[in-house]
Amino acid sequence: MADFGTLCLLMALAAAAWAVLASFNGWRSQSGELILSGERALYVTWGLVALAVASLETLIFNDRFEVEYVASYSNRALPATYKVAALWAGQAGSILFWLFILCTYSAAMVLFNRRRNRPLMPIVVTTLGCVATFFLILVNFIARPFVTLSRTPIDGMGMNPQLQNPFMAIHPPCLYVGYVGLTVPFAFAMAALATGRLDDTWFRTTRRFTILSWFILGSGILLGGWWAYVELGWGGYWAWDPVENASLIPWLTATAFLHSVMIEERKRMLRVWNMSLVIMTFLLSILGTFITRSGIISSVHSFTRSDIGPMFAGFLGLSILVSVGLLLHRLPLLRSEHRLDSFVSRESTFLFNNLLLVGAAFTVLWGTLFPILSEAVRGVKITVGPPFFNAVMVPITFGLLTLVAICPTIAWRRATPARLLDKIRIPLGSGVAAAAILFAAGMRDVYALVAFSLAAFVGVTTIMEFVWGTLARSRATGEPPLRALWSLVDRNKRRYGGFVVHLGVMLVIVGVTGSSVFKQEATAVLHRGDSFTVGRFTMTLEDMVSRDTPNQEFLGARLAVFTGGRRVGTLVPGQNFYKAGQNPSTEVDIRSSLREDLYLIMTGFDPQKGQATLKAYLNPLVAWIWIGGGVLILGSWFAMLPDLRERRRSAEARLRAVASYAT
Amino acid sequence: MRPERHARRGRPRGRPRARRGRIGVAGVALPRLVLTGLVLAAGMASGGAGLRAATLTPQEQVETRLMCYCGCTDLTVRTCSCGTAADIKMDIAQRLAGGQTADQVVEAYVRERGAQIRSAPTTSGFDLLAWVMPFAAILVGAGLIVHLTRRWRSRATAPPSGDAPMSPAFDSRRLSADDRATLDRVERAIREEL
Repeated sequence: MADFGTLCLLMALAAAAWAVLASFNGWRSQSGELILSGERALYVTWGLVALAVASLETLIFNDRFEVEYVASYSNRALPATYKVAALWAGQAGSILFWLFILCTYSAAMVLFNRRRNRPLMPIVVTTLGCVATFFLILVNFIARPFVTLSRTPIDGMGMNPQLQNPFMAIHPPCLYVGYVGLTVPFAFAMAALATGRLDDTWFRTTRRFTILSWFILGSGILLGGWWAYVELGWGGYWAWDPVENASLIPWLTATAFLHSVMIEERKRMLRVWNMSLVIMTFLLSILGTFITRSGIISSVHSFTRSDIGPMFAGFLGLSILVSVGLLLHRLPLLRSEHRLDSFVSRESTFLFNNLLLVGAAFTVLWGTLFPILSEAVRGVKITVGPPFFNAVMVPITFGLLTLVAICPTIAWRRATPARLLDKIRIPLGSGVAAAAILFAAGMRDVYALVAFSLAAFVGVTTIMEFVWGTLARSRATGEPPLRALWSLVDRNKRRYGGFVVHLGVMLVIVGVTGSSVFKQEATAVLHRGDSFTVGRFTMTLEDMVSRDTPNQEFLGARLAVFTGGRRVGTLVPGQNFYKAGQNPSTEVDIRSSLREDLYLIMTGFDPQKGQATLKAYLNPLVAWIWIGGGVLILGSWFAMLPDLRERRRSAEARLRAVASYAT
Repeated sequence: MRPERHARRGRPRGRPRARRGRIGVAGVALPRLVLTGLVLAAGMASGGAGLRAATLTPQEQVETRLMCYCGCTDLTVRTCSCGTAADIKMDIAQRLAGGQTADQVVEAYVRERGAQIRSAPTTSGFDLLAWVMPFAAILVGAGLIVHLTRRWRSRATAPPSGDAPMSPAFDSRRLSADDRATLDRVERAIREEL
């Protein structure tokens, strides 16, 4: 089976290389047969990579420890779910999985565009084929998943205990699907640049893929935060770790693109900027992978140092050279007549929103790479940790929230400052009122007051857009309000889906502010019957407990939780000892509510004395981060669905195409 | 002379004075407002961080300024829940109880463990660049946007469209004139969609 997998990958490399050569030469010579051959080669590549993935999973499920990868990341006792996840637990397997997602996207793009966008497709296939070829070189020659050992071990080393968590089974695939999906708009952008067909076809075709990749990457980031929260046992969800940062950076630039592309659609402006954002987003996703896998920056997420770093650096350099070269070559064609009627307009708020989003991406990148710069310039290695990112990102986030609140109220083309102030007076008043109420209630933290006030500002603005729209539609059509609301959002899913995303962001900000500013903690060494308190909760140690499963042994402390003298639940934090002989992993227990999370960790224990060392965190409003994430996903999903205007536009485009054939 | 000067600058003749007035408010005051906002943001990042740090106890300040060296996570001593962090916290408490200031404790750790133990760059020398660069980049970007938008504005000749006439139908709804205008704007947009 290992040999079969190796053979599949070698053949896939040949097929991908052929896809690149055939498509590019087919485009240059305008040979339909070569172009078709290139597209079919991409299907073949997908099929062969899928077979390789199936081979590796079969080897993992059959405990074939003669394969180094299987012996390193699986063992006999590993539950079936995690045997599936073992595919992306190590360097070689995760690159193979990445490649599989890329090939799936590529095959889907070829399939969806078999009758559309024909002039662009040869270069789309060439670009996707180039990226696939690079990853195939990696899995064939550098990070090989099917390497066999000279001596077969009796059992494998098993998966890292911290990865044995349901969120970890979903988080990496989400990140990969998001990251890799960003290759699709990049491929279309390259095709538009190479062919000189720089109308709106390339971004209209990929708009749905971009939103899909954006929200799946965002979901992956949130799931990663959730995993860190429930698994790592430090009571938080985001540590500004270099690998976390690497996923956030392209997400921020993709967010900027999704906003600025609206200006290009409406006014044909910012064409160079949008092209640059798509290129930047793809390059940053490759840079993120380079940071994760090269070992140049130490991180809890990093894979072991390997020879893969220089390869990624080379690929990144080549990608920059080709994409920036093409962009510069086509600059004269991309120049558009920029007209702005007023400084106070939707267009200008989008420009500032782009500035802050790209500025935020730059800040995170700068902070992540600054230790390397410091070492190169001064020879002193320093750390750029959470205090730096929190201090710098908070004002940028406040600026962005202000724009999120103002932007929907400003008209396209032109508004006046007086009209703007008038339109935002109710939302702004709500924000000020929220701050005043919280101040009167005793809140004195300036950051929290500003954050909650801005959240109210954003929330009221967004809800008012729905209310005004519903009222106006109801008046215009005579529909009852609920039907008018549905018709309103159904006819413009992108606009109102975007507003729902804004509400999701607002909820995330509320959760982050509450849980970071008002966090409380307590530590105690308890014997049976002892109690300790955090916030309004008192916990009493009832007993030490243990559970034994084929994969692990759990040892924990059972605590009764009281508030106001009333028992409200039982929590059992503990530690898992995996039989594969690795370090124990902390198993936190959480009592979650909309108001706060009571988060308990057992950091040490002595079963003989019946003694446990416990740490408790009280994290206010943390549940709103996950709820906000859900709202964000819902809004994104809704924004992806085709609406009436879009259907009308594509029908018109089809009619134009038919008319052009007829004449 | 005035029309000739306008012609030389490429401005249309007889542009209403009120429009020039709007340039004064929107074209000058808002860019200044944006730039002031960014400078305030930069100040908030450095000063605000200091202000917040001031609300922490010396023990908490030191814990926030040092990274835990347990090797399992990239966390400060304050947030890390491992045994190493607990030992460091105890050591910090002892040093502070021994009469050392927060700065002295941090410096002692830097001498023992190297500059990497600091959780954030210092605000002097080369490290200052880490703090300045993000805001400098955003300020330069803001300046560029202001410059470009002024240039693009001068090309625009379309008449104003923001202040829409009121729909008489709304009078019966007892809304204010401004609210009627907002409703008109939304209604017009929806009519376009239908």
